Amino acid sequence: MDGPAFLARVAAYREEGWRLAVVNATPLLPTDDHEHGAFDVTWSFARGGEFEHLRELVLPTDEVPSVSGSFASAFLYENELRELFGINVTGMAVDLGGQLYKTASRVPFSPTAIRARLEANGKASPKSGRTASPGAGGTTSPGAGGTTSPGAGGTTSPGAGTASPDTDGATPPGARRDRP
Amino acid sequence: MKRTVLPMGPQHPVLPEPLVLDLVLVDEKVVDAVPTIGYIHRGLEALVEKIEYTEMGYVAERICGICSFMHGMGYCAAVEDVMAVEVPERARWLRVIWAELSRIQSHLLWLGLGADAFGFENLFMHCWRMREEILDIFERTTGGRVIFSVNLIGGVRRDIDDDELLVIVEKLQELGTAFEETTRVFATDPSIRHRIEGIGVLSADDARAVDVVGPMARASGLAQDVRSTGTHLYDRLDFTPVVEEAGDCLARVLVRVREVTQSIDLIRQAVARMPKGDGQAISVNVRGRPSGETFMRLEQPRGEVVYYLRANGTKMLERFRIRTPTFANVPAMITLVKGCDLADVPNIILTIDPCISCMER
Repeated sequence: MDGPAFLARVAAYREEGWRLAVVNATPLLPTDDHEHGAFDVTWSFARGGEFEHLRELVLPTDEVPSVSGSFASAFLYENELRELFGINVTGMAVDLGGQLYKTASRVPFSPTAIRARLEANGKASPKSGRTASPGAGGTTSPGAGGTTSPGAGGTTSPGAGTASPDTDGATPPGARRDRP
Repeated sequence: MKRTVLPMGPQHPVLPEPLVLDLVLVDEKVVDAVPTIGYIHRGLEALVEKIEYTEMGYVAERICGICSFMHGMGYCAAVEDVMAVEVPERARWLRVIWAELSRIQSHLLWLGLGADAFGFENLFMHCWRMREEILDIFERTTGGRVIFSVNLIGGVRRDIDDDELLVIVEKLQELGTAFEETTRVFATDPSIRHRIEGIGVLSADDARAVDVVGPMARASGLAQDVRSTGTHLYDRLDFTPVVEEAGDCLARVLVRVREVTQSIDLIRQAVARMPKGDGQAISVNVRGRPSGETFMRLEQPRGEVVYYLRANGTKMLERFRIRTPTFANVPAMITLVKGCDLADVPNIILTIDPCISCMER
C-alpha cells in the first residue's frame, strides 16, 4: 500500500471532523494469487449520520502504517490487528507488546489458521479460498438506514514474497510476550 | 521519583467482569495505565466458520447478557440489509420498544452498581428493584429475562397485543414517577456529589480526540447518538440526545439517569405510533443465502455499536465483526485515569460502564 498517500487521506478525515468508528480486517484465504492469504482492512469513519470507509488489500508480508497520528484511539484497533490477525502495523502510538488479548492460540484469525480450522471442520477444500472484493478506490458514501456497503478494493501492495509465511504458530512482529 | 506498577484486576470489587489495568503510580498519582483484556475472549466472531447465518443470531445474543436483545437486533438488521429484506413495520416498532426497555434495564443495573461503588447500598437496592420490573415485562412479552431470542431475520418472533402494550406504558409511567425520587438522590445527594463530582473529567476536546461514544461522549457535551441519525424508526420519534457538559463522573451518572426517563417516553411514543389491530404481520419469510456486505450501527445503552457483516452466497458468513462501545471507550478510560488519584480509579472505570463480555466477544 502507498503509506504516505493513505495517511494523507486518513488525516483529511480528522481535519474534516470525522471520528474513527472501527477498523476491521477480513481474512482472505490463500489463493493462487496470494499464497499465504491476504486481508481486506477497512478503516471506517463516522460524522453524525455519515459513515465512510477506506479499504486496503494487505498481504501478510505488508507493513501497515499506524493512523494513531491522526486518530489517537486507533492504537487499540491496531494492536488487535497485530495480535489476532498477524498484520504488521508500524508506528503505533501505544504498542501493547502483545499484551492486549490473552488467547489460547496465537494469531487465531490469520488466513492460514482459518484455513486449517475450516479444513479440520470439513468446511473447505484445500484449494478453495475467499476472494478479495473487486473494485478500487475505497472511499464510500453512506447508504440508507444508517448502513453502508463499502466499495471494496484499494491498493494492492507488491508483496515481496520473501518474508516467512504466516502460520498459526508464528509470532508476528512485536506480538505476544509474557507479562512482566 | 520512584514509579510503582500496581496491577488492578482481573478481579476487583467494582468490576463484574475481568479486566486488567497495570497502573503506573508515582506516589498516589496514576501516570500511566496499560490495559490487558482477553480473559473472557471467546472468539465468537470465528463461529461464522461453522455456524450457518440463520443461527448466528443466537450467538450474537449471547455476546453479553445485558445487551443481548440489541446484539440480536443488530445482527438481524445487518442480514436483512444485505438480503434487502423489508421488515414489517409493527416488527420494527416492537424492536424499538424492546431496545428501549433494554436501555432502561441496563442503565438501572449500572446505576445500582455505581451506587454500590459510591458506598450507597440503599440506592443500589432501589435501582435493582426497579430493574426487576423491567425484567418482568421482558418475561411477559418474550418469555425470557436475559436472553430473549425474539429477533428473527425478517422480523420478530412474538407480538405484544395492543392491550398489553397499554399496560406496559402504564407500568412504565408508574416506574418513571417512582424514579423521580431516585433521580433527585443521584443529582443532589451530598455524599454522591462529594464522591464523584469533578472526578475523572473528560473535556469535549479530549472526548473528540479519543473518539468516545455513548453516554461517555454525551456527558462531555457531545450530542452524539446513533438514534439521532433517524435510523431504525427513530426519525419518527421526538428524540433529542441527553447531553451534560461537565464531563466528570457525576455527568456520566446524570446522563444515564435522564436517559431512563427518556426511554420511558420513547416507548410511550412508539406504542402511540405503531400500527394497531389484529392481523399485523410481524415477520416475513426469508429465503436464500446472503451475498454482499454491510455496516450496521445501533445505539446500545453503552453507546454506538458497529456490526460488519460480509457474505459470499453460502450458508456461512465470511466475516461477522462487532465493535462494541466499551472497546471504543477504552482509550478514553486510559486518558481519564492518567493523572487521577489511585483511590478514584475504580469509580472512573465504573462510570464508563464497561462491558467486558461485549468488548471481547
